[in-house]
Amino acid sequence: MTPTTTRVSVLAAGLLAAVTLAGCATVQPYQRGRLADPEMMFDADSSSVSYTAHWQEAREGAAGGFGVQSGGCGCK
Amino acid sequence: MPTKMLTCSRIAFTTVAAGWLLGGVPLSATDAPRVPTVTLRRADGTTAQLADYQGKVVLVDFWASWCVPCKTSFPALDALYTRNRDRGLEVLAVNVDEQRKAADAFLATRPHTMPVVFDPNGEAAHAFMVRAMPSSFLIDRIGHIRFTHTGYSKGTLDSYEREINSLLSEP
Repeated sequence: MTPTTTRVSVLAAGLLAAVTLAGCATVQPYQRGRLADPEMMFDADSSSVSYTAHWQEAREGAAGGFGVQSGGCGCK
Repeated sequence: MPTKMLTCSRIAFTTVAAGWLLGGVPLSATDAPRVPTVTLRRADGTTAQLADYQGKVVLVDFWASWCVPCKTSFPALDALYTRNRDRGLEVLAVNVDEQRKAADAFLATRPHTMPVVFDPNGEAAHAFMVRAMPSSFLIDRIGHIRFTHTGYSKGTLDSYEREINSLLSEP
């Protein structure tokens, strides 16, 4: 690698870091209204999630795929 | 030897940090920081300055409609205010919701007598260096922050009573 290539690579890496790190921000505890919104939860409706997990386990025999124990018979 | 020293400093740091996090950090009147200069907006559009409360014991509580423990702490603080206002206690419930309608919906379902002020841009919260929600600060008669509490649990109310009694007994 020639010195010019090295310099260009370092410059490119620095530029990339500057561009991507600019997207990071510290969210203060009192600014978390949007993050605390129920819409931001992966499983906002826990009963719906457990129901879906139940029939998927029963139909596909995919027991344990959702972090719950089951025999896959759909009878739990 | 250095390992031992490191362990000791770690223990000391953890103890101090735990003290701060668990709340109720007492500071003597001389060591305690001065209350920051902040302007708070009331529901009717008028403003309140913390300097206006000099001579009174003030509890400043930062809360939000989306903060789960605030649902417990808000009515508890209101009851605390009702019990102690005749003795010289002022409570300022500072709302930090960005959307005013969220705060109004929260307040509509919780009857209260303590004054509520609004800080939608978080300027007051920033000035007080709020590190958790809810956070509260007990200010003595001469404007020093003497006790801080982060979060809210069952024991917090007992601490408030004790600390308020101690500050009210000061000249």
